[in-house]
Amino acid sequence: MTETSLYVLQQLINGLTIGSTYALIAIGYTMVYGIIGMINFAHGEVYMIGTYTAFISIIGLLTMGISSLPIVLLLALITAIIISSTYGYAIERVAYRPLRGGPRLIPLITAIGMSIFLQNYIRLAQGSRDLAMPALISGGIEFGDPAVFEVSISWMQMIIWAVTLISMTALALFISRSRLGRACRACAQDLKMTNLLGIDTNRIIALTFIIGAALAAVAGVLLGLYYGTINPYIGFMAGLKAFTAAVLGGIGSIPGAMLGGLILGVTEALTAAFFPSEYKDVVAFSLLVLILLFRPTGLLGKPEVEKV
Amino acid sequence: MTQKKARFGTTLAIAGTLMAAMTAAHADTLKIGIAGPVTGPVAQYGDMQKIGALMAIDQINAAGGVNGMMLESVIYDDACDPKQAVAVANRIVNDDIRHVIGHLCSSSTEPASDIYEEEGVMMITAASTSPSITEKGYQLIFRTIGLDSLQGTLAADYIKASIKPQRLAVIHDKQQYGEGLATTVKNLLDEAGIKAVMFEGVTPGDKDFSALIAKLKRNNVDFVYYGGYHPELGLILRQSREKGFDAPFMGPEGVVNSDLAAIAGKAMEGVLATAPKSFDQNPENAALVKAFKQRDEDPSGPFVFPAYSAIQVMTKAMQATGKTDPYDLADYLRANRFETTIGEIGFDAKGDLTEPTFEVYTLHADGSKTPVSQ
Repeated sequence: MTETSLYVLQQLINGLTIGSTYALIAIGYTMVYGIIGMINFAHGEVYMIGTYTAFISIIGLLTMGISSLPIVLLLALITAIIISSTYGYAIERVAYRPLRGGPRLIPLITAIGMSIFLQNYIRLAQGSRDLAMPALISGGIEFGDPAVFEVSISWMQMIIWAVTLISMTALALFISRSRLGRACRACAQDLKMTNLLGIDTNRIIALTFIIGAALAAVAGVLLGLYYGTINPYIGFMAGLKAFTAAVLGGIGSIPGAMLGGLILGVTEALTAAFFPSEYKDVVAFSLLVLILLFRPTGLLGKPEVEKV
Repeated sequence: MTQKKARFGTTLAIAGTLMAAMTAAHADTLKIGIAGPVTGPVAQYGDMQKIGALMAIDQINAAGGVNGMMLESVIYDDACDPKQAVAVANRIVNDDIRHVIGHLCSSSTEPASDIYEEEGVMMITAASTSPSITEKGYQLIFRTIGLDSLQGTLAADYIKASIKPQRLAVIHDKQQYGEGLATTVKNLLDEAGIKAVMFEGVTPGDKDFSALIAKLKRNNVDFVYYGGYHPELGLILRQSREKGFDAPFMGPEGVVNSDLAAIAGKAMEGVLATAPKSFDQNPENAALVKAFKQRDEDPSGPFVFPAYSAIQVMTKAMQATGKTDPYDLADYLRANRFETTIGEIGFDAKGDLTEPTFEVYTLHADGSKTPVSQ
């Protein structure tokens, strides 16, 4: 392979890695929007709480002398999912449910308020300095001619792909096969009608918040380990990127969120590859504007049909 | 109301006379103002300046004073607040003090220096590094600390002389401090014939540098200068080493921080950085360090020795000229070189040091640093 194609391959690998974590977070935005038509701006903070929980449990396990990598990873993942889901559920209970049925702008404001509250709460509890994750997984494989260009894939990148793939498949199966999943789809189609048919829609809405938070927590653990540092402000940018991914793919559509995340990640990596890397956000957001100009509902979104 | 005013006026007049009388009675002391934050969030920096200056004053007095006069320190608190700094400067002028060590924060030093220059007071700052302070062509304003921008010159000199990179990359964080230094380094090296193959910015707060690192690898970069702060450099280092990019890095003082070690881990070993000289490590200052330790004071702060040296050069000029008039002292300071605790120094026409007070260090994974012998 030529030098350029190897280089592009390397950047695709980098882009797919970051893109799959965008997709994990984007699910939370898109599911909530699909059912109650609101943007949960506090979702990025749930991701941030996931990284902090993972950090604390990893440090805790290591100090307890448990250093077996699979066990540490698994336990960190489970704790992060439990804690983040609890936050996701609590946010819905405290900030959104009491306001349901009111004007649509009100939950948007409480969402922003919630986001600021959580960010500052973690800042006060954990300090505002960067915390460094211990480097649990290092190394990887390299291929290509060292004289031309060596493509490297780290184990961590492969773990990110695998975990993302497993989570997404589980989610797709859950939505398409289980009874609760069917209820979710029913709510997304027509919330009022579903309620009339005897399904507890409040429970289903709470469930979507929990699922979204759990996937955000997975992304939090993976990215925390991949990048190596965490601080209380990472939720904002991650949330913004994931929200963009959700809109890009068509907000409300779960496959759209996955596709949007991957496209966004790859675009960023390829922009940074051939232009100065400070332009990568500019290009990513310009792409969003372009797609929305030609497909206002996003790539896989369905146009909203006025129900009679 | 008018009566009250009149009475107030009389009181002032009496107080004034009394003060004049007191000054006359103590003609054998020379007051030196020490202005800086005694309270407020940066009071600890004010403390560094104070212990340095007081140590110098005490030692000079113990050795018999200057021209038969004893030095007397008067401490003023500007809380690092520009408004209060102006008030302090006016009080110093009213208190008839004509020699000042301070102020500390550049934002306070700048408005205060206007007043000193106008009222004929000599000021030497041991801590303010903003280049704009001495840009106005003052006669009486000096400093015993290097400018931030000199770090770029020093780094470029070092890279030119010792590294001689074939494929240099200059990365910065797009902020005033980082991009400013990175541009200086790039331009200076450009003039010396070392062209940067990459000159790029990263977004502060960004976490993913894999695309940048792949590009560094592709360009076969063999040396990276990074202008910015430690959180981004730490991540770049950590992710570089994970992805098999091993070129050496260099940065400014902004990356020298114990947090860098926590973020970058082993990847930090061998990183080069320009940082203020640690004067307390200089063997020639061993006796002075001991004197600080005996007083239970910490000599390792960056402003302690510059403050000490400020008193040193001021008193040396007084001894040499036999005068205390700020204008005579200023002429002498500009015309001569001085042996001080921060090394042999001279002042240029603007009142800045002619030598940088920065040095190149190698950083280590445990958070310590050692000076690089050039």
